[in-house]
Amino acid sequence: MKAAYLTTVVAALFCAASLSSQAAGDPVAGRNKNSMCAGCHGIPGWRTAFPETYKVPRLGGQHAEYLVSALKQYKTGERNHPSMMAISASLSDQDMEDLAAYYASSYSGPSK
Amino acid sequence: MKNTKSMIGLALAVALAMPACAGGNAEAGKAKSTTCAACHGEDGNSPTASFPKLAGQHEDYLYHSLKAYKSGKRKNPIMSGQVANLSVQDMKDLAAFYAKKKGLSQKY
Repeated sequence: MKAAYLTTVVAALFCAASLSSQAAGDPVAGRNKNSMCAGCHGIPGWRTAFPETYKVPRLGGQHAEYLVSALKQYKTGERNHPSMMAISASLSDQDMEDLAAYYASSYSGPSK
Repeated sequence: MKNTKSMIGLALAVALAMPACAGGNAEAGKAKSTTCAACHGEDGNSPTASFPKLAGQHEDYLYHSLKAYKSGKRKNPIMSGQVANLSVQDMKDLAAFYAKKKGLSQKY
């Protein structure tokens, strides 16, 4: 009886652990997905298009949670910017988490 | 132009006036940032994950964001309340203050 109970508890813990690692972002995966982002956010001094020109915001070291919420807001249209809306439309929730983790950590290690 | 002396004088006058009508003043921005610090941290390095870090962000992007909150183009219940009392100069000064801080980078 005790062994069965213990097994259940351990199994439950494993399930919980694997669940959280899926939801959390993987910066290495994020690095592999950022080809659409680097073109604007990775070039020093790059500006947005006319008529409102301002520098594309720096993402390095920003809070991952904030980046995810921003991407989600672009996806729903709550936040309005043509390029960002188009790009975030193609991102899954996992993509967003991975990209956010990559930028938050300023990960610069090897890509897989 | 016939009179080069007056041209030089005019150019000099314009050049000297430039700083006065330029962008924001970081010193003034620091004085105005006490309310902002509550959420965004004293130097813009927000400790709370849902409030973005401002330290080291591009000055013109910060100014653009504040303007967007003020005009309602960008909607956020907290921020729209905060910018209601900010003048154009206030927004420029705050942007200048946070842009000078060390924080966000473009090295990924």
